[in-house]
Amino acid sequence: MDTVAIHPRQRERSAPRVVKRSFQLPRPVRTALVYITLWIAFIWAVFPFYWMIATSIRPKDEIFQRPPSLIPNGATLQNYIDLLVGAQFWRFAMNSLLLTVAVTIISVLISVTAGYAMARHRFKGSVTLPLFMLYGQMFPPVLLLIPFYVQLRFLGWLDSLWGLIPVYLSYMLPLCVWLMRGFFSQVPFSLEDAARMDGCTRWQAFWKVILPMARPGIVAVATWVMIHTWNEFLYASTFILSDTKRTLPLGLSGLIGQYTTDWGVLMAGGVLTAAPILLVFFILQKQLVSGIGGGAVKG
Amino acid sequence: MTKTRAPAGPKLRNTWSQIFETGMGARVYPYLMVLPAVLVVVGVVVYPVISGIMTAFYDVTLRTLNTGTAQFVGFRNFERVFADPVFVLASTNTLIWVVLNVVAQLGLGLALALLLHRAMPGIGFFRSGILVPWVVPSVVAVLTWRWMYDPSVGIANEILLKLGILDRNHPWLGDTATSLYAVTVESIWKGTPFVMLLLLAALQMVPRSILEAASMDGASGWRKLWYVILPQIRVSFAIAAVLTFILTVNNFNAIWLMTEGGPLNSSEILFTLAYKYGFQRFDLGKASAVATMLFVGLVIATTVYLKLIQAKEGD
Repeated sequence: MDTVAIHPRQRERSAPRVVKRSFQLPRPVRTALVYITLWIAFIWAVFPFYWMIATSIRPKDEIFQRPPSLIPNGATLQNYIDLLVGAQFWRFAMNSLLLTVAVTIISVLISVTAGYAMARHRFKGSVTLPLFMLYGQMFPPVLLLIPFYVQLRFLGWLDSLWGLIPVYLSYMLPLCVWLMRGFFSQVPFSLEDAARMDGCTRWQAFWKVILPMARPGIVAVATWVMIHTWNEFLYASTFILSDTKRTLPLGLSGLIGQYTTDWGVLMAGGVLTAAPILLVFFILQKQLVSGIGGGAVKG
Repeated sequence: MTKTRAPAGPKLRNTWSQIFETGMGARVYPYLMVLPAVLVVVGVVVYPVISGIMTAFYDVTLRTLNTGTAQFVGFRNFERVFADPVFVLASTNTLIWVVLNVVAQLGLGLALALLLHRAMPGIGFFRSGILVPWVVPSVVAVLTWRWMYDPSVGIANEILLKLGILDRNHPWLGDTATSLYAVTVESIWKGTPFVMLLLLAALQMVPRSILEAASMDGASGWRKLWYVILPQIRVSFAIAAVLTFILTVNNFNAIWLMTEGGPLNSSEILFTLAYKYGFQRFDLGKASAVATMLFVGLVIATTVYLKLIQAKEGD
């Protein structure tokens, strides 16, 4: 369960060579069919993304030209300049960044210790607590929304980025703990025992032996939190009221006008919001895919 | 802390963490480690959920919040919700929305996983491309689709005109007959790659020897799929189904940012309805009543999910 992205070359080596078949289409036809289907799926998946980039680099008059052309006639950075010249976008990005860093650090610290203890130690609740955590993840945000609103109002934290941190923890932390526990239980017990025999204290064994072994899992969890905090919209749009405290997704949705919308600028904002996520994802693709797939499905 | 009576041998250096090595310290230590997580979860999940369910039985509005005089009203909020014709519409829409999403995402996800689960030149390229919708932030994706659906210069209309499916531009999001389905298409586009990933992971766990044995016995592709592959990945398939269900019920961004449940509530689901009750009319009691009903449905789904995970661990 822990490797999802197997390299194609490995697959080839282990693929069966001779396969007896009942009636089937000739091989070249089948290969062609597979490739055609793959191309259709590929275009379907990538087209909206392409269209976002294509719109973002079009000159203003071309965006509203009828009929729209698939390939931009001229390329310009005007939309990006318009977006970045105003101080608003930078402020939104800073807000998002601050929030993301804070939530990520807090949830990783808390979930590493809890996940480790749940995976390694038998204590009262070491079986039920993880399940309880998983339940916590499944609570519908709309049910939490109202009590959060009442509490934040009561504490005077409405319309504050700091008030969003506990709110985000509610929807990140349970799954983080659950995933961390999964990763820590994959590290062999014998390693820690060996370290302890060699005279490490618990802390040293944890810090020097277990933690490095579980690093891919920690990276996966941290990235998962980062991506979700960066993208979060529902809570931010409900609890953030003033313009200056908006996060990026909120700022983007705010660019939709009541009567007219400058889609070029909006799409430029979309590209810039998606860019860090895409970057992180393609750098860490392997770890992430195995982490989310492996950790989420297996205990 | 009791005094540690550990025979601190010459190897064990004195460190502050020694108090956790034996006796009371060793017993308390795992609890200390899970304590922060438990405190946070109780504070930001358990307590809010309980107070959210309580709210459903009180008459909570902005006015009573300010004066602090919310009254217990029993099932009145629920009665008021059931009496609202929009609630019935939203329930039907939720059903359509969930069924369409789950069926399409699982079907397409399985097909894609089977396609991508083979050794072919360039398969990595296709796999990365097909994962793009999953990676793009949901707000960005939804806004892009909204732009593509634009009634006058949207590319969706243009492509459908070129293919000869339409003969004039159609306002996909502005027509009560199509708004829910137009949003569903976006949601399927966004959700399918994740299902594909889960199923691809499962397919890679199917022992090669079983497939070879089936081929040796002369099983055709379809029969192999039906009798060998699907039974092997059934647990992962069921997990993917439950996860898709939960994610679809909770998918707020797609509907809210494309149509806000409109026009004329034609794309309203229970989630957006509860949101409107709560944060447009500030009738928090009524909103909590809808949320509580959703919650019960999700708890049932979650229970099924956990049972499936345990079945998987038992395999």
